This record gives sequence, structure tokens and C-alpha cells, in this order.
Amino acid sequence: MEKKEQKRHQHKHSGPKAQKKNRKKEQGTEQVQDERKRNPRAFSVQSAVRMAKTFHRTQDIKTKKHHIPLVDRTPLEPPPVVVVVIGPPKVGKSTLIRCLIKNYTRQKLSDICGPVTIVSGKKRRLTLIECNNDINSMIDLAKVADLVLMLIDASFGFEMETFEFLNICQVHGFPRVMGVLTHLDTFKNNKTLSKTKKRLKHRFWTEVYQGAKLFYLSGMVYGEYQTQEVKNLGRFISVMKFRPLVWRTSHPYVVADRMEDLTDPEAIRLNPKCDRTVSLYGYLRGTFLKNKCQVHIPGVGDFSVADVSFLPDPCPLPEVIKKRALNVKERLLYAPLAGVGGLVYDKDAVYIDMPSGHARRQQVRFQSPTTELVQSLIGTQATLDAKMAAILLNNPDYILVMYARMAPVPEHPEVTAMIDNENKCWLFFWSHFILRSNSRALRWKEDLAQKASEAYLRHQLAAPNLRKLVYGTEEEEDSNDEEELGGLFKVSRPERSKKVRADAMDCSRFHPDSSHDWDQEEVRCTSIRDCFVTGKWEEDKDAATLLKENDELYGDFEDLETGEVHKGGNDDEINGGGDDDDEEEEAPQVKLDDDEVQKNKRLEKKRRLKERFDAQYDDGDATYFDDLKDEMQKQAELNRQEFEDVDDEVRVQYEGFRPGMYVRVEIPALPCEFVTNFDPHYPIVLGGLGPSEGNVGYLQMRLKKHRWHSRILKTRDPLILSLGWRRFQTIPLYYIEDHNGRHRLLKYTPEHMHCGATIWGPITPQGTGFLAVQTVGGIKANFRIAATGVVLDLDKSVTIVKKLKLIGYPYKIFKNTCFIQGMFNTVLEVAKFEGASIRTVSGIKGQIKKALRTPLGAFRATFEDRLLMSDIVFLRSWYPVLVPQLYNPVTSLLMPVGQKDTWAGMRTLGHLKHDLGIRNKPNQDSLYKPVVRQVRHFNTLHIPKELQKALPFKNKPKQMQAKGKTPQDLQRPAVVREPHEKKVAALLDALSSVYAYKNKKAKAEQHAKHKEFLKQKEKQDAERQKRLKEERKKTYRAMGQKEKKKLKSSLKGASKDN
Amino acid sequence: MEFEGCSCFRQRLVLSTLSVKRVKIPNIRSKDDNLGLRDFEVSFIRLLDKHECNVQRSIGYYLEALLMLAPFVKTPLRAALKGVTNDPTDPSVDLLKVTAIPLMKKFGIDGDGLEIKVLKRGMAPAGGGEVLFTCPVRRSMKPVQLTEPGKIKRIRGTAFSVRVSPQMANRIVDSARSILNKFIPDIYIYTDHMKGASSGKSPGFGLTLVAETVNGTFLGAEVMSTPQGQGDPVLPEDLGRNCAKLLLEEIYRGGCVDSTNQSLALLYMTLGQQDVSKSLLGPLSPYTPRRLCLAQGDRCPIGEGCNRVSPSS
Repeated sequence: MEKKEQKRHQHKHSGPKAQKKNRKKEQGTEQVQDERKRNPRAFSVQSAVRMAKTFHRTQDIKTKKHHIPLVDRTPLEPPPVVVVVIGPPKVGKSTLIRCLIKNYTRQKLSDICGPVTIVSGKKRRLTLIECNNDINSMIDLAKVADLVLMLIDASFGFEMETFEFLNICQVHGFPRVMGVLTHLDTFKNNKTLSKTKKRLKHRFWTEVYQGAKLFYLSGMVYGEYQTQEVKNLGRFISVMKFRPLVWRTSHPYVVADRMEDLTDPEAIRLNPKCDRTVSLYGYLRGTFLKNKCQVHIPGVGDFSVADVSFLPDPCPLPEVIKKRALNVKERLLYAPLAGVGGLVYDKDAVYIDMPSGHARRQQVRFQSPTTELVQSLIGTQATLDAKMAAILLNNPDYILVMYARMAPVPEHPEVTAMIDNENKCWLFFWSHFILRSNSRALRWKEDLAQKASEAYLRHQLAAPNLRKLVYGTEEEEDSNDEEELGGLFKVSRPERSKKVRADAMDCSRFHPDSSHDWDQEEVRCTSIRDCFVTGKWEEDKDAATLLKENDELYGDFEDLETGEVHKGGNDDEINGGGDDDDEEEEAPQVKLDDDEVQKNKRLEKKRRLKERFDAQYDDGDATYFDDLKDEMQKQAELNRQEFEDVDDEVRVQYEGFRPGMYVRVEIPALPCEFVTNFDPHYPIVLGGLGPSEGNVGYLQMRLKKHRWHSRILKTRDPLILSLGWRRFQTIPLYYIEDHNGRHRLLKYTPEHMHCGATIWGPITPQGTGFLAVQTVGGIKANFRIAATGVVLDLDKSVTIVKKLKLIGYPYKIFKNTCFIQGMFNTVLEVAKFEGASIRTVSGIKGQIKKALRTPLGAFRATFEDRLLMSDIVFLRSWYPVLVPQLYNPVTSLLMPVGQKDTWAGMRTLGHLKHDLGIRNKPNQDSLYKPVVRQVRHFNTLHIPKELQKALPFKNKPKQMQAKGKTPQDLQRPAVVREPHEKKVAALLDALSSVYAYKNKKAKAEQHAKHKEFLKQKEKQDAERQKRLKEERKKTYRAMGQKEKKKLKSSLKGASKDN
Repeated sequence: MEFEGCSCFRQRLVLSTLSVKRVKIPNIRSKDDNLGLRDFEVSFIRLLDKHECNVQRSIGYYLEALLMLAPFVKTPLRAALKGVTNDPTDPSVDLLKVTAIPLMKKFGIDGDGLEIKVLKRGMAPAGGGEVLFTCPVRRSMKPVQLTEPGKIKRIRGTAFSVRVSPQMANRIVDSARSILNKFIPDIYIYTDHMKGASSGKSPGFGLTLVAETVNGTFLGAEVMSTPQGQGDPVLPEDLGRNCAKLLLEEIYRGGCVDSTNQSLALLYMTLGQQDVSKSLLGPLSPYTPRRLCLAQGDRCPIGEGCNRVSPSS
């Protein structure tokens, strides 16, 4: 068989069809538009309503994405990102931190102890903190964490602490949370592994958000996680973005990474329990910190700061950003609590931490030419302060004093001598180094001093009077710079004028001494003539200049159109510098070169042109939102520029310490336990407080029992709240608002509903979230977070009331009036309640009228109905409840090391009863007793006669007995008539029947007759009606005609009139 | 905090209220024959919780403090103040109405609620006036950049007279215009003659002038007739001329905020957000530095942000 060769299809290469195809191929992307053209019906409006709906929906979605624009306050050099690593014990937290540190800095840190700060990239630093399993630490760290690495043991699954932590986070503003699954190598079966991963992932998503990142660390290699996986995790961390949280952006806070006890050793020797002065160090985060402000240290309490100063950054970002990756020198690691970063600079000292192993290296360092000075210091008997003063006098240069903190080193003779002298295990070792300009730190200081003095002088020149006016007399010129800076904000009122001023008239009216004689022409002309629109304008705003400029601008415009590339380049420049204020440009600054002036002029011109162009073309689209955003951006720019050139020392005085600075906060009068029981594993957070947040007052809050907490909460049971920075125990009263606005006390929180709570606690701004736990001590199997909520109001005037029923008994009853006793005890009490409405249990309402003389407390009352003696009368009243004033900060950080999670405050009533073995006496009525049933007797049913009559027979009580045999004696004898009697009876019968028949006949006749008569009458009536109708019709017609005639004639008359 | 003497009495109380801090003021008028608080000060303290203004001082005295407090209270304020509306010692209600209200608007306190309304005019010494002041509540002040006062484009004013001949007002207007016309033609001075129940208890007359610049700065000046029986009577012509000269003096002093409201502007700047506010003030009036002293000197009772005052003449 021969297969027929089929002709293949020939593609057209020319002609209309080919052209069409080619066109299609070319315009492949523009298919959509084509479709619309080709099939317009499919895209036509089918339903206007639906279209409106879809439009509405898209607009909704668009607007939902908008946030209220805020002024951007992020500092230029942000503080390190706080990364908290959390998880149950033995999940691999420390290992992960160690691996991350190794990944970023190539250094090994054996003991993770306190926060570890590392430089992770060119623009980012991280502070890694490990969170232990204590709920106190969890709460504190949730408040400061930017990123949470949540470690989950995959072989076990989620533990209660994980959920608790997530709930804590939710309340205090959710930081970024990233899950990390560990112990994945325990799964031998691949399928179970993937299934577990999936299950855990989905559970994690429901808790955090759909699609939250969950990392898998598959296994360990030599006790560490796999390098590649850690590297990936590190990359994720370095690129992560963080959202600003309201509480944190409005409060300054410091996660302390170093602590020094500054207390006088002598004072400690005299009284080991004396209050300590402690300086805490750390990066300032959040917002600006004022110098003398109040801080709260969670776990310790509220303290006012004695002094804040900023130190050079111990872990700085690379100064110049290069294209390459960071080199080893730039990958810094700073963890003083873990003993890394041995050399630390303080405000006026340098600490060297010297473990015994490094002692030899230190020894070499001491062989400097200044050793003799050190030795002289050690040798002499004068006080160290005096010595320092002497040295300072001798060396007018800046002096850095160095404290060396060291372990006992037997091979170092001087130190051993000191040890012998002082008999202490470690000591302060004074020495000094005269560091000249070769030291970086010193150079910075020198610059600072110079800048400060310059700034000061500038200020002096600019406003000589203002400062004098505001801050009284100025400081002496010859005192040194530092003091002057300090004195800048010291109030020193001049003593002599003080008395005069003290009682001055409090009046803002101001009578200027009119030295000008406004009648004179030249005074007018010279002084204020130009202040009016009619006067002379500045050169650049003069009408003539503007006109000329306009011409130039439009001329330029044409030029720009032709040379487009040139314009684009300049536009960027304009964008960059365009935000400057007018006056700044106008202000006569430094003398510029001619070129520069020209350039500025050109730039200015272009800016104006751009503004005009924008006004003409862009503003049509700009919404209110865009305008607002622009405004905020301008403000942010302004804020930045204002202090850009100001020296840090001065700037700090004006705006406070800015976030990102490494600060040293000195706090006096800390309890000694803070130092003696110091455990670096517990985080120390210094939370700055707002102006009135240090006070304690009444707070109204909305509260809901957590749905995972097993029990409802009882009013007046102490509860530990975490609110703002604080953790404290307080006694809440729960209430619910009735429909009439009354706050009614609740005995227990509702099971699944919000309720109100009032506490006595620290003043915290409205809208701040809080969470409540019943105990912070110990580890419990069940979910510890008892309730969550939000602060609603800070109002003392809100009163909670509880229902109080006063009960009385009637002792004399008239018709509707009663005398009632037992409700009150005195006449006065009754007088207070006169007119109050009362009620009986049966529902009869009444009113209190007047007190009776005897018995005391009895009164007359009237009711709407007569009472019975057995009625109980009650008065429903509302009694205001006082909120107990318990505010007990949780001082868990003061507990001894190892027992920090055992803080126990006031116990709940249930706890107390349980501990003391007290049992409630049960209500006798609630006890179970054997049931005794009495036989009941009922009265016979009595039906009234009238009712009996009305009843149908079957319902009538059957009183007649069934007819039995009549007894013999009751039987009557039969009557037998005589024949005559029979005849008489028969006749009478006949007569009566005749009479009856006659009567009947007559009646029938009469009836028929009457019927006839009625018929007749009806007929007549009908006829009469007909007639009448006819007649009426006639009359009406006549009347109508008459009326018509009248109307016509009147119309005619009217027309004639016209 | 402790202060001595009764100067800046209002400022101290207002600032202590705003910053929730206690103040103690001993030795008030310790050397005076009449020791202790005067009636108007007692009245002021009462005003801070409940509104009858003592006639020793004009309503302006009380209103100035209310202006400072009103935007920060919990609910929108509506205060009907009764007493002396105009007297020579304190800034009058009219002056505050034309200068302080536009200033407040710059700080973002605006809307329908902000108003000062003179219902009845009462001159010193007997008073009998009534003023309605309403102010909305604002969560935060807007930062301001008042650095360019601009040129004066118009002058407005009110010449009022109560219980005297209505012709007085016209005479004042004529004399004031005779001076001001040399500078700018756009002048309009309203005459306001109140009669009957709304004319208070004492006779008097006065003039309030305000100069508005192209940038919305308002500079004001005012002169009142001397209260009945307290000195030499003034001629309306002299009063008009004096007031016009005062306005010129005020213009000469310059600035974006007139000398009466300097302290108010500074307070709002301090209580604003953490943003830089700038304002150009004329030479400070003697009252203003005392305010600065209170606000910044004594360990900054209020978180005053990073605001800054740039003084210039």
C-alpha cells in the first residue's frame, strides 16, 4: 500500500492574513486592550449597582492601606536591634546564639550571659538576648524585643511557655516573631518529619499570622547547627524590617548591658545593706531621654535618675560604608556582662576587665613612662581625690583616668601590696595616662570642647540679652567650658532684684516706652515704612523683579524643553535641596563667590519653576493624604536640620539624649539586693516614664479573662498586672456597666465577656494594653495568663456600686398604709430615705413616708395595695465601693540568685484558705438532708350554687343517689276515684281542651292578620319614598340651575369689569 | 516646687496644672499692708475649678489663663465669664479675640468651637460685661514655623463706646485714621456702640487696632478710656491717636507674634509634639521671660521637646 503524501500547510508570509498575524505577534502584550475592542459587550456595564460595589470595594481596600502619616523620628544611627531568643529549656537557645555570633563575628562566646551586641552588617547591629523560662523575664523582654526568635522543639511540639509568650507579645505590641524548629534530627522517618513540620507550621501561623516565617534547623554538627542554615537565618535577620510600636516610640528605654556599683566602699563596709548608687549602661532606644527623669526598672521599682551621660559607642558601625563586606576589625562584639570587650570607657574613667589569664599582657602595658606616676599614686597616703586634683592642676590637658579592675594577681607586686593593704578581693587601681592627640577618644573630646565653646560664643553673640533675662546672670567667663555648659540650664536669679520681682503685678499687658515720635515724617519713613505692603519689598520679592523673573523663567522653560537631558540632571539636585526654607536661603550667610551666587540664583529660579509646574499639574491628583504626608516629611526634615550642626553636648541639653546613643545612667538609692543578688541572665530594662507616669492613681480598664485560663477571677483577689513597663500586684474590682450607665460591682469576671476593672496603680496613658497573671512564682502546668485588657480612663470620679437590699417587716397594717420596722435603726436614717420607693417580695410597690417616734427606725409607708403581715418589705439601694489601694511592684530582680522566679506577693483568698486549712461554713439550707414527704389532705370541692346552676348537666355535681328500692314505709298508696268524681274530672278535661283549641285558633288568625298589615305598610312606605325622592330631585335640579345662572352672571359681570 | 511672691501667679498655677506638679507659693505680699492673696487671685483659683470674675481685674486676666489651659482639658470648654471686659491694666477681650484666636488657629486649634464672643460689654470699675469663650480640645499642637511675618496688608479695628455718646466712637475712628492713613489705605475701624442691657454698668470707650500681614500675622494694640473716677478723663481724639501710635510701635517691634501673646505662643510651642517649632518674636515683653524662666529653668516641669525659640529684633 502506498501512503499518500499529504501536502503540508503553507504558512502565509504576505498578504492581509499574514499581516494580521504578525501584528498579533508583535502586540502580544496588548491583548487586553484588543479584547476590549473586539468584544466590547463582555466589558460593558451590566449592572450599575455591581459596578458601584466593585468600585467601592477597591476604594475601601486602597484606603485601608493608609495609615495616619506620622513624623519620621527614626534616628540616623539607630540603636542595635534587640533580638530575643526564647524557648523552653533544652531547646538549643544558647547554641543558636553562639552560632549566630560565630556567623556574624567569627568569634566564639562560651557563656551567653546578658545581652550581646554585635555588628551584623554595614548598617545594622544586633543585641542578642537569651530569655530564660521565667515569666518575669518573658514579660520584660516582650516589651523591648524588636525580633523574637522562637525556638520550638520539633520532637516535643509547642509548650505552654511558647503560647504564653505569644500572648504577652500581643498585649504589649507585637514584635516580629520568627519561629525556629530544632531537634529535627530526632525524626528517623521522613514522612513523619514532613508531617510534623507542616502541623507545627500551621499551628504557628494561627498564632502569629498566616505565612509567618518558620525556620528549620535540621541537625547538629559537632554540637553546632549547620553553618549554611545559620547563615540563612542570619541573612533573614539582617534584612528584616520592623514596625514602630506606639509604646516604644513614645517612651525611652535602655536594655542595660553593663552594671557598675558606684557606692562608696566605706559606706558598704559600715552598712552592708545600705542603698547603692549604680550606673547602668546601654543603648538608648525608643525616644529622647531627658536627664533628670524618672525610670522604672521592671523587677526593682521606680527611680529618679541622678545623671545621664553619653559615652562613645563601644560597638560602632563602620565609619565609612564601603562596597565590600565588613572586615574582621569591623565585626565587633560587645558583651560586658559576659566578660567580652574588656576595655570599657566610662564618663571619666576607663575600666579594664582583667581575668587572671590576661594579667601578663596587662603588665606589659603598665611599662609606660607614666608608671612612676601610678606608683606614686599607690604609694602616697593622701586621698585619691586630692591626688587626682593635683594631677589635674599640673596637666591642663585632658586627662583620662583609668580604673583597672582586676583579679588578685600574685605575680604583680604592687597589686599584691594593695591587696594586703586593703584586704579586699578586688580593688580599684588608680593610674593615669596623659593621652594626647594620638588617642581617638581624646580627639573626640577635644573636638567636643572646641565645638562647645564655639557654639557657646555663637550663642552669646546672637542672644546676649535673652539668656540673661531667662536664666538670670551668666556664668563667669573664666570658668571652663564644661561648667558653662552645665550652667546653661541652671537657674540663677539675681539676688538683688529677686525681692522686687517676687510681688510684681501679674499682668501681660505691656506698655512700651514710646521713644519714637510717630508724628515726624522721617521717623515714619525710616523705621516702619517698609513693613507695609505699600512700602518697599525685598529685592527678590519686588513686583518688578518678579515680573522680570517670570519672563526669564518662561524663557528658560523653552530652553529646557529643547535640552531635556540637561534638565533631568538638575531636577534631581533641586529635589535634594529644594526643601530648604525660604528665609534660610535669603539670610545673608557667608560671602559666596560670584559663581556660587549665580548658581544659587539659578537653583532658586528652577525651584520656583518646579513649584509652579507642580502647582499646575500635580496638585490636581494630590489627595489630602498626600498633602499630609508631604507636610510630615517636611517637618521631619526640619527636625533633622535644626540640630544637625549642633554639637552633641549642647544638643543633648536641648532635645535630650537621642535614641542610638550609648548612655550611662546613674541611679542613686537602689536597694542593695539589686547589686548583691545580681544575675546577668535576667534582663535589666530601664523604662523611661512620661511626665505624670510616675504617679499612682485610679485606673479604669476593660478586661477579659483569657479564654485559655481555666478559672474565672474573683473581685478583690490580688492580681499581678503587666502594664506599661511595670509589673505590679494590685487588687482589681470588676464591674459591668448597666444600661443606665451605672457601674455595678461583679463578684467574678464573666466567663466569655469583657468587663470593667478599676485598680489603684501607676498612671498609664489610655489605650495601653495590659495582661494579668495570678502568680509569677514557680512553674505551673496550666496557662498562666489570667486576663488581658486595655486602659480606658484615668478617672477617680468613676464609682463602682454594689446592690444593697435593706429589709423590713410590717408590724401594723391599715388599708394601704403600713408601719414598718427593722429596716433602719434611727429616725435620722429614715429621714434620709424619705420618699424612697420600696417593694414587697410579692411585688407590691410603695413609698417611705415618714419616720415614727417609736420604735426607733420604724416608719410609715404607703403601698399600692394592702399588705399582709407575712410580707417582707425591701429597699433596693446602691452602695459605692472603695477601690483598695494596693500597688505592690513585683521585685523579682531583688530575689537571691536562683530564686528569682519565686517572688510571691499577696495571696488570693483561695490560696490563703487552702494554706491555712480554713474551710467555709456551709449554708444550712444548702446541705443535703433525708427527704421526708408528708401526706397531704385536701378539702372537698365546693361549688357555689349559682355556678352549679349554670353548669351543664354532665358537669353538675351529682348529689342524687341512683334510685334504689323505695322502702315499704315510704311507698304511697294508689288513689281510687268514685264514679261521680270520675265524671267531674272527665268534664273538666273536655272543657279545658276546647278552650285551648279556641285560643290557638284565634292566635293563628291574629298572626296572619298582622302579617298582612305589615306587608301593606311596607308597600306604602316604598311608594312614599319614591315620591319623596322624585320631589327632592326636582328641587335640587332647580337649585343647581339657579346656582349656575348666578355664577354665569357673576362671571359675565367680572369680564365686563375687566 | 516652691516659689516666692505673687508674681507670675497665673503662670505658675497654669503650668503646675498642665504638668501635674505641686507648687507651693509662700510669702505672698509679705511686705505689703494688705497681706496675702487679693480678691482677683482668689477668684482666679476658683475659676480653675468653677465663673465669676472679680471686677478688680478684667476678664482678659482670666481669659489669658483659660487660653493656655483650654486646648488641653478633657472636654471642649465653654465658659461664660462675667465681669469687666475692658480696662487699662489687662489685655482686653477684644484684643485677645483679634490676636490670640488667629494665633491659636496656627497651632491647629481650630474649627467651629474656637470663639470669643462679647455678649455684654462692661467697663471698669463696675463691670457687668459678659464674654463667652468656647474652645475645642486638641490631642496635640501642630508645630509651627512662624519665621516670616510678612508685610502688613490691612488694618482693622473696633472703636467701642458704652454709656457715652455714640459720637465718641466716630471721633476715635477719625483721629486714628488720621495717623494710620499715611501708611496704608486699607483701614476699616468698626464702631461698636452697645446700648441697654448689654452696655454694662460703667461708662467708657476705647479702641482696639489690629494689623494683619500677608502671612497671617496679627499685631494688635489697644487703648481704653480711664475708668470713671480714677484719674483724668481722656479725649477720644487723644485716645485714637495714642492707640494708632501704639500700633505703630508694635509694628516697629515686629515679630510673628505680638507682644501680648508671646507667652501663649511659647507655651504652645513647648507643649507641642517632639517637633521643632520656630517663631520669630519681637523684643520680649517683660512678662515673657518670666514665662521662659518658669517653663525651662526650673528643671523643665514639662517635657518641652526640642523646641527652640529664635529671638530677633
